[in-house]
Amino acid sequence: MHNFILIALNDSVSARAALNFFARLMMCPENCRITLLHVFRKPTATEELMGKKFAEEQPTRFKSMLEKAKDKLIECGYDPHNIEMVMVTDPYPTIAEAIIDQCNKQHYDMVIIGRKKMTKAEEFVLGDVSVKLLRALEQMGVLVVKSE
Amino acid sequence: MEGRVVTDTTDIFAVDYGDILQVGEKFYRVRGHEREARFGMDEPKFWVKRVEDLETGEKKIIKLSFLEEFETEIGGVKIRCFRNPHKEAEVLELMKDHPFFMHGTAQRDSKGNILRILDIVPGQNFFRYIHSLDIPYGKYFTDVLPDILTRLARAFEAIRLLHTNMLKHGDIRNDHIIVERNTGNYVWIDFDYDYEAPENPFGLDLFGMGNVLAHAVGKGFHTVHMILQDPATYGNLKDRLDTADFSVIFKERFINLQKLYPEIPKPLNDILMHFSRRANVFYEYAGEMIEDLNRCMCLLQ
Repeated sequence: MHNFILIALNDSVSARAALNFFARLMMCPENCRITLLHVFRKPTATEELMGKKFAEEQPTRFKSMLEKAKDKLIECGYDPHNIEMVMVTDPYPTIAEAIIDQCNKQHYDMVIIGRKKMTKAEEFVLGDVSVKLLRALEQMGVLVVKSE
Repeated sequence: MEGRVVTDTTDIFAVDYGDILQVGEKFYRVRGHEREARFGMDEPKFWVKRVEDLETGEKKIIKLSFLEEFETEIGGVKIRCFRNPHKEAEVLELMKDHPFFMHGTAQRDSKGNILRILDIVPGQNFFRYIHSLDIPYGKYFTDVLPDILTRLARAFEAIRLLHTNMLKHGDIRNDHIIVERNTGNYVWIDFDYDYEAPENPFGLDLFGMGNVLAHAVGKGFHTVHMILQDPATYGNLKDRLDTADFSVIFKERFINLQKLYPEIPKPLNDILMHFSRRANVFYEYAGEMIEDLNRCMCLLQ
């Protein structure tokens, strides 16, 4: 019986904290099927200003990030055959919606995501992916790893 | 037809009083500029021209493409804001038959700049309307507020429709609602503003809706300074204040209005408290707030 786990990752400190937290957990690696997920959001106007070259480099950059995350889990005893890397390139309005959609398409027992410390005003204005996942996802656990 | 005919509006300052704007086959005489009247200042908006249709004599507003862009701080959070004529054009098209949105069309000038040719919504803006009600709060609460909230709920529903279509108003303020003279409808105007908050695209619209609601329920805004300096109006409220009573974004704005006006029912006050520093859960969608507001209506009838 396997546990299906989705870890949502980007290149933030909080995402690294989430991965490290999971890697340190006392799990049975042989029982885990892990999906390392990165979502490409529709670029904002500011990101578009970074230029075509910047945009073209993003898939390579995040593939490398996912490979490093995979290596980290392999070091911790996870079977490389049980680790899948998924990059969502379809344009979703928000990251949260892409993760929720991914969870609706495929069964997961747990979703893990990092959350950086925010003021209430920041949460109000900028939004919080983890809160959206907690509200929307059912029939699965949501593990939110808070970082500074 | 006397006057300079302008087909290229790229230089918004060069289009002036007396000029004739040619948009497609139509000609409009510039009669002046719209003005922004806030905080005692009255500044011309040079990209918003008051015009007259030379064929029909009808008065209109033409908004030129003004690609203003700046970073603003909202509650200490930096947000990139910009004017987005394309978005306003999309809203005009989507809401062309909707009674709670200003109407008009979008067309390009000879250089491809997006112009919006707008019908004038006759009436007073919501900010002024509330301040024009010269009655004590008790009477306002029983006789006027129920109708205001019913109309606001409808106006908020119109915003929800916008959000459902992945569009935002962008600048929801009390003076961007016109209380339409003939119908009493609350009509949204001025939606060319936009902001960048990709993970929470409608957050600032919701914040604006909270402000409008607080202004309506409180019969105006109440700030910490007003409360401290006007004991005749606010009594001992200053001795009962808590930081959690104030807005999560505007730290000086008093939100916990039930402390000031005990007749405000708790469910209505609870809606406002979603915008306070006490809140742990914020509204994410307009529909959530509208649902709560509709539940309160029966308590006010």
